[in-house]
Amino acid sequence: MGRPLIHRSPMPGLGLSMGITLTMLSLVVLLPIGALLLKGANYGLAGIWETVNRERVWAALFLSFRLSLFAALFNLVFGVLLAWVLVRYRFPGRRILDAAVDLPFALPTAVAGISLTALYAPNGFFGQLAGEIGWKIAYTQWGIFIALVFVGLPFVTRTVQPVVEEIEREVEEASATLGASRFHTIRHVILPMLTPAALTGFALALARAVGEYGSVIFIAGNIPLVTEIAPLLIIIQLEEFNYDAAAAIGIAMLLISFAMLLVINLIQVWSRRRIGYV
Amino acid sequence: MSDITVTKGAPARFRATTEESPLARWAMIAAAVLGLGILVFAPLIAVFVEALAQGVAASLASLATRDAQEAIKLTLTIAAISVPLNAIFGVAAAWFITKFDFRGKAFLITLIDLPFSVSPVVAGLCIVLMFGTNSFVGGWLVANGYPIVFAMPGIILATMFVTFPFVARELIPVMIEQGRAEEEAALTLGASGWRTFWTVTIPNIRWALLYGVLLCNARAMGEFGAVAVVSGKIRGQTATMPTTIEMLYQEYLSVAAFSLAAVLALLALVTLLLKTALEIRHADQLAATHRH
Repeated sequence: MGRPLIHRSPMPGLGLSMGITLTMLSLVVLLPIGALLLKGANYGLAGIWETVNRERVWAALFLSFRLSLFAALFNLVFGVLLAWVLVRYRFPGRRILDAAVDLPFALPTAVAGISLTALYAPNGFFGQLAGEIGWKIAYTQWGIFIALVFVGLPFVTRTVQPVVEEIEREVEEASATLGASRFHTIRHVILPMLTPAALTGFALALARAVGEYGSVIFIAGNIPLVTEIAPLLIIIQLEEFNYDAAAAIGIAMLLISFAMLLVINLIQVWSRRRIGYV
Repeated sequence: MSDITVTKGAPARFRATTEESPLARWAMIAAAVLGLGILVFAPLIAVFVEALAQGVAASLASLATRDAQEAIKLTLTIAAISVPLNAIFGVAAAWFITKFDFRGKAFLITLIDLPFSVSPVVAGLCIVLMFGTNSFVGGWLVANGYPIVFAMPGIILATMFVTFPFVARELIPVMIEQGRAEEEAALTLGASGWRTFWTVTIPNIRWALLYGVLLCNARAMGEFGAVAVVSGKIRGQTATMPTTIEMLYQEYLSVAAFSLAAVLALLALVTLLLKTALEIRHADQLAATHRH
């Protein structure tokens, strides 16, 4: 091995900073995740499969993933639009709108959960309006969808915004000079530039939504097979002191997270190769 | 003559092709305002409307109850312990990653980011499996009088897990951009390592550090899923503000639940206000992209 593990450096504090980093990372993150994997290993692949391969668990995993996908798709479209509007246009209240995009990050999930439920319940402000046309939102999959849209809202906007800021006007002018219509320029020049960032934001929103618990459980209604999300199943198993089953579902969800983390990294590698930045 | 008419007409059409038509522009602004209004402003307003449904006095009275007071105290204590610990980690990790060259750096950053993509409930589960009474470590700790799960240390660990990357994520891009030259100059001039850190590095990263701590604190005080799993939600002992909100809500004590929620919502608003102020005044010293 020609390359040393750590290059010699005149910088002080190697031992201290490395020590703090690795110790805390191990204690807070790696050992607990290791405990989950160890529990799964003891339980065995067959045991995990037996737990996960039940109608109720499949239904919950599928529900969490499917609604997260829909919510992330909604956020993909709305997030790109929002990023464009916030960067390119000047209008009164733009600063407030820009700050409001981060509210879902700052507002605790339990607060968002009870607040959305109050709004969309049959006697709530939006719930009543929807009820007029016979549309039930809270305690149905629509409610879960809205909660997941809420928690994933900032991701796409915040990843796309800096890219829109970086776009050089000359590129658009060149496209226009060559006779492209505005729609053509947006479709073939601008959107391709935004795609990698938008996809990264989409994957982050998706990953966040799949694991979301606090903002969903209040509005979901939590009916098994219909509106029961995967994280809730873990809580139910834990409350029955069924640690093996909880670990099995936890590992299934962890695998989904790892897969999505991999996808995010692949998108970034791909876009770096394609356009030189993320 | 015909040439002149063409050039007369051209500028208006040309301008139109480098920006959207006013109609499209206003339609998009309207969609953005409407979308954020329904998705973000409405839930925020609803918290305060529900909290004040029976008047200010009822709302304040519910906050003065023992359960609410204990929950607020516990949440403040948890944040006061976990946020500084994560800030120390963030500075140490950023220093290690940006001041030294070593193999596996990208992998280390991925590991630090891991908590962002793990469900808070799974995070809580991990801590229960590691430190619960059934586990080897947890059993030994409980036998010696140091329970982790269903007690304060477990809540702190769960909070630290979910907020783990916040400070490091904020500092790493800023410190990469600033490079090592200033620290190297200070060291060459004979400053000690600590002196270099306090008088050169910290002034350079203070706003980014404050930014990271701010976000970390907001999340720490509001964490629900992971804390719900490890805390056992024992009233007056291990019930934090978010878990108390859940219990009050499920007991149909709407005003009490929303009053406590309003306190957290105010905290979120203050966080956003400070964050925006930092972005306006110290944009050059913050990381270029803000995802979390």
